[in-house]
Amino acid sequence: MSYRKLLSSEIELLKINGCKAADWEEINVAHNFIPELIEDVNFSGQVFIGTNVKMQRIFHLSNYTIEDGALLQNINTLSVEAETSFGNGISISVFNEGGGRELTMYDVMSSQIAYMLVTARHDKRFIQNLENLIQEYCNSRKSSIGLIGKDSIIKHSGIIKNVWIENKALIEGITYLSDGTVLSSDLDPIEIKSGVSAKKFIIQSGSTISDGVLLDNCFVGQGVRIGKQYSAENSVFFANCEAFHGEAVSIFAGPYTVTHHKSSLLIAAMFSFYNAGSGTNQSNHMYKLGPLHQGILERGSKTGSFSYMLWPSHVGAFSVVIGKHYTNFDSSEFPFSYINEETGKSLLTPAMNMFTVGTRRDSLKWAARDRRKDPIKFDKIRFELFNPYIIKKIIRGMTRMKELLENARKDQEYVIYKGLHIKRLLLKTCIKYYEMAVKIYIGHELIKRISENSESGNPENLPVLLKYDAALLSEDWIDAAGMIIPKNNYDDLIASINRAEIKNLKLVDEKIEIINSNFEKYSWAWCAKLIEERYNTKIEKLTAEQLSQLIKDWRENSIKLNNMIMKDAEKEFDQTSKIGFGIDSGDEIRSSDFENVRGKYEENKFVLELIKESEQINALAEKTLFFLQRKI
Amino acid sequence: MDSHEVQNRVKKVIANVLKVNEENIAEDANFIFDLGADSLQSIELVAAFEEEFQIEMPEDKALEVQTVSDAVKFISQFLA
Repeated sequence: MSYRKLLSSEIELLKINGCKAADWEEINVAHNFIPELIEDVNFSGQVFIGTNVKMQRIFHLSNYTIEDGALLQNINTLSVEAETSFGNGISISVFNEGGGRELTMYDVMSSQIAYMLVTARHDKRFIQNLENLIQEYCNSRKSSIGLIGKDSIIKHSGIIKNVWIENKALIEGITYLSDGTVLSSDLDPIEIKSGVSAKKFIIQSGSTISDGVLLDNCFVGQGVRIGKQYSAENSVFFANCEAFHGEAVSIFAGPYTVTHHKSSLLIAAMFSFYNAGSGTNQSNHMYKLGPLHQGILERGSKTGSFSYMLWPSHVGAFSVVIGKHYTNFDSSEFPFSYINEETGKSLLTPAMNMFTVGTRRDSLKWAARDRRKDPIKFDKIRFELFNPYIIKKIIRGMTRMKELLENARKDQEYVIYKGLHIKRLLLKTCIKYYEMAVKIYIGHELIKRISENSESGNPENLPVLLKYDAALLSEDWIDAAGMIIPKNNYDDLIASINRAEIKNLKLVDEKIEIINSNFEKYSWAWCAKLIEERYNTKIEKLTAEQLSQLIKDWRENSIKLNNMIMKDAEKEFDQTSKIGFGIDSGDEIRSSDFENVRGKYEENKFVLELIKESEQINALAEKTLFFLQRKI
Repeated sequence: MDSHEVQNRVKKVIANVLKVNEENIAEDANFIFDLGADSLQSIELVAAFEEEFQIEMPEDKALEVQTVSDAVKFISQFLA
């Protein structure tokens, strides 16, 4: 965009329109500038004004480029005071309030790079080199002129200082914004509205911050909603998070972290796909050396109303925490658990959350609720409920429970593991339930590959189809803030940065993207190896009978799982659920009132979908078994 | 094992798991509504029946059992 100086006639017209300037020579305009669109603006420093820019009543405008089509009205201050990096390069004491895991934020940061920077503190050279790459990027963002991007609207606002605002942003009624970047985009604009005050921040595309939110030293990823007086400091919120009413201090909110209720304090912890019940509370302070403890709730976890946890604690994936827990525990090897408090003990029941309606509904809704419309999606997110990371944990959990069972006496009510009490009687049941998950996972992965070939293929080609590349095999996996990643690849990436082989952040992102796009290949290699271990033979040597058995196991356990979820759904229609219905009448009216408000179990959409899914599972299994019969 | 013995042992298990007095357990008592079992205790009951009678019960079918008499009938199938 090229600019010219103002014509003297234009200066005169601007003066008539109530405008003032410290030096009119510093005001630069587009060639087809329309001075009639500018009223009551006090200019100082350098200002660049694009085509069709409308500005009215700005008390102080200094050192900004205002691009084509922008509308600025009723603003106290819009200024850049000196060279700044607009929030880039600011350090956030995330995850551990006491420090030591500082995250240097930048405007195109992904949850994966943030995860590496926050967690891989064992490798000092890696941290230093990654910090150097980030610093180099942040230096490139420095300028003493700010930006109001094309078609942005800023209205009825207080002070905006050292803030970089990209295209189509809507900023209306804010109180104070300073030292930040609003990375809005044409396809996925950002809205910041009524009463928001934000200092030292970055907000990525598609996010909305509104209604008196207070942000201090915070990073907000893509498609995030923060509102209703939420306050946060030293915290990061990645893609599709939602935070209302409550408070966050030093949290690493991975993708889909949700906290909607008043009195919820999330502090010094890492989450993803997390749902905080009302009044959720956590402590990172044991009144010894300061607030230096931290907690982890792995993906898909929930905390019930008024639940409390004392850090350090680690909650395994897809688990539900209910009650107040004053012990430090680690349930990371037990996904899908209930963690209840009972007479002061933290009671773990592994696997139970696999069978709840809530878990199934969550797993379906996350993918459907990805709000990001920007073609560039910074955070890599995988939604599979059963994946190598989770199944590996489940297998470890089964091993632990078998050990605990072997060593327990029959008259023992509980066994104790890492701060948790587990009912001895349930160990065997929970192992069985976990085995169901493993069979469902294996069968699902297998049937994906077989069904690719079953339409027109020759069963004799199966060995080729099932073979995997041993070089892709990673024994362990990591859930890196939403991305399920083979540990070998993750370690290689860290090692490359450690050796300074990767020269800029874009290349780091590209490496992560390549790993993510090959997830299916890595995942199949891991699954095939698991099958080989179970059958003690190479995958391509499995007989048709063995393959058929895996498919039958998948069918049986998938349908059984659905039946158990339906049993859970049925509870929503039982006598207890009818309490409060038919307020002034007897049983008959109560049932009728309930049915008219809530519907019938057998007509419930979720239940019908589960029934349909079970029928589809059966049909697919039949088709695949028929295909395999041709091989026998 | 006759059904009377199955019933006595079922009641003993229920009393132990749900911490209720064995004498107060009626034949038609519902685990949840009459004996106060929650969802986890229902699963614990199934595990306790399996251990008591040395049987394996299909999880989804076992959870459909809601009363003492249903439990006696269900378990008896596996003892036949």
